[in-house]
Amino acid sequence: MAKEMIAMILAGGQGSRLYALTQKLAKPAVPFGGKYRIIDFPLSNCVNSDIDTVGILTQYQPLVLNEYIGNGQPWDLDRLHGGVHVLPPYQQASGSDWYKGTANAIYQNISFIDRYDPKYVIVLSGDQICKQDYSDFLRFHKEKDAEFSVAVMEVPWSEASRFGLMVTDENDKISEFQEKPKNPKSNLASMGIYIFNWDILKKYLTEDEADPNSENDFGKNVIPNLLRDGRRMYAYHFSGYWKDVGTISSLWQANMEVLDPSHSGINLFDENWKIYSRNSGQPCQRIGNDATIVNSMISEGCRVDGTVNNSILFPGVVVEKGATVEAAVVMGGTVIKAGASVKHCIVAENVMIEEGATVGAMPEGGLNIAEPGDVATVGSGVVVGKGATVGPKAMVSSDVKDGEEQW
Amino acid sequence: MVNSNVNALGVIFANTYDNLVPELVAERSMASIPFGGRYRLIDFTLSSMANAGIDNVSVIVRKNYHSLMDHLGAGREWDLTRKHGGLNIVPPFAERSVKMYSGRVDAIESILSWLEAQKERYVILSDSYIAVNFDFGKLIDAHVSSGADVTMVYNRAPIPEGARSDNYTIRIDEDGRVTEILSNDYRLGEQNLSMNMYVIDRESLIHLVHDAAVRGLVYFERDILARNLKLLNVKAYEFKGYAARISDMKSYFDENMRLLEPGSMEALFGGAPIYTKIRDDNPTRYLEGSTVKNSLLADGCVIEGTVENSVLFRGCQVKKGAVVKNCVLMQDTVVEPDCDVEYVVTDKNVHITEGKKLTGTDTFPVFIAKNHSV
Repeated sequence: MAKEMIAMILAGGQGSRLYALTQKLAKPAVPFGGKYRIIDFPLSNCVNSDIDTVGILTQYQPLVLNEYIGNGQPWDLDRLHGGVHVLPPYQQASGSDWYKGTANAIYQNISFIDRYDPKYVIVLSGDQICKQDYSDFLRFHKEKDAEFSVAVMEVPWSEASRFGLMVTDENDKISEFQEKPKNPKSNLASMGIYIFNWDILKKYLTEDEADPNSENDFGKNVIPNLLRDGRRMYAYHFSGYWKDVGTISSLWQANMEVLDPSHSGINLFDENWKIYSRNSGQPCQRIGNDATIVNSMISEGCRVDGTVNNSILFPGVVVEKGATVEAAVVMGGTVIKAGASVKHCIVAENVMIEEGATVGAMPEGGLNIAEPGDVATVGSGVVVGKGATVGPKAMVSSDVKDGEEQW
Repeated sequence: MVNSNVNALGVIFANTYDNLVPELVAERSMASIPFGGRYRLIDFTLSSMANAGIDNVSVIVRKNYHSLMDHLGAGREWDLTRKHGGLNIVPPFAERSVKMYSGRVDAIESILSWLEAQKERYVILSDSYIAVNFDFGKLIDAHVSSGADVTMVYNRAPIPEGARSDNYTIRIDEDGRVTEILSNDYRLGEQNLSMNMYVIDRESLIHLVHDAAVRGLVYFERDILARNLKLLNVKAYEFKGYAARISDMKSYFDENMRLLEPGSMEALFGGAPIYTKIRDDNPTRYLEGSTVKNSLLADGCVIEGTVENSVLFRGCQVKKGAVVKNCVLMQDTVVEPDCDVEYVVTDKNVHITEGKKLTGTDTFPVFIAKNHSV
């Protein structure tokens, strides 16, 4: 039974700039927004857009991600025909190979895609925070009778040279592609989300693979080749919230934007576009008599007896009496003991912050989401000892002894 | 064989004691009464069974079971979507609808042919009016090692006000054998109060129920156990953990409030996990100006006002200037700005409009029925 469109999510990213957070898990598995992982966004977008067949291309630290995806049930992607499949590189008769680039990752899974005989394939990125209706994108692709479409966002001209840019005519037809140019001719940045006609994609992937000089990358190789051949290429404008959370400060920022009273962040409270995730199954959050909570988001299983201000607590976080949490993103299972101060930072899962310890500090000018400055980071499973200090610029991924200071 | 599954199946009665909480079961069964912020009462028994490796469970329903069926689905959340066994919901047969189940014997009789076809050696019978994190593995071990015909579970507790005319207490000899089962005990103070959970050999259950049904007997405890205590070796098993019995509106309110006391959550949830239907709510949002003290909140709430000593289920909203004290707000209750509500229990989807003042007392909380707007 043929599918109209299936999705392929590129989830191989190591996320090396998130260092302490991605030691044991791939970037798409990084927690976000109080109970989600980044990959919940493309997966939920797929199912909300009626795409029921999704391949997830992984190769870096796949354990957490594999376990998290499981049979796809939390996203309603446990299907008899289709559903979600995690696709790591595998050994073939002709030898085995890691995914050499984004295009090669899809190339190695041509037979997976062919099983569903789709007319279109949408290529997604597994490390973006974004709510997008891919069925609207497909409608655009069909209306334009395109062979290739790319989702683009308008960015400020001053920042345009940081992006891959699409130069288009008044009908959104792409005439040129500029990768991080010095003199941008356009401010339409590629979001790395593509719809291809499958026959076209397959042809160009095969051609790209045969080229020994290719880096096997969509942006560097495949898209320029399509342009060279004058294919029907269009740019689909997207204007909603979109964030590539590639760095600690952008990840912190995207979390803080969720709390922003002026709603600059992604709306997680949308009944019509739910974001699904694997549930922790913990009981209710327990707020004690001495707790003070201001402008925060708190998840199930938490126990709060201290002060929580402008922060996001993931499931099962404990904030003891006398502890202060401010402008912090605290991931699941972390315990913050009495008298500890946790500010302007990201604390990963299952961290123990002992009594009187200090992690991070508020910047001198106070909270500024747009220009965060330093964001301290504590990696998963770390113990920050009694009275220890983790400075505002620090990123720790191993235990900090009692009284020790790390800057 | 890896002994991950016990040699027992479960039978849960969903409607027992419905008559004690008429307000709460107006549109549901006892088993699907919301409890503890995000659960339904049946979640506790069902999860406890699943956690003990019991993967063949029948839920016998009598009436008002739509909400329960919606909640249980195919049993996936309890890992009971199995090829063999799994979750099995048993409504009354259509041709029997003139004659509703009137007692446990009737209800079991309706599943006799199913019981006969099963392979497990033991049957666990349980009601669903008690929220308890119960170790059924230990109970089965005790039953097997004592060589009893029936093992019945009790705890030391005063007879709840609401259950004065609907309870069983037991007398026990020094060997832990039940010597007497008293119906509708009215003594004050702590008694050996039955929790209406039993372990029994499947073959003998079939035999006893068949025999009783032929003679027109309907009550398992009164008509089968109590009459045969000399013949049957009925052992008592004391449960010493946290149990929340729902026997009337006041106990429903009190038991929700008791969860706020120090140690309660740990006692009820500290053991094996309790599963429930997933709603995919976002985490709870505390907005500028909110004050929350000594409360339990489920996911999906948005708090802008004041919440004290209360239990809020999933998706509740407390708007600016509203004060909620000593309340139980079931899922999706909305309290509009500047309301003042105290000692109130709202059922699902209740809307309290702007500026309203509603006050009950600790002995008589105000109850607002499902989908009502005040």
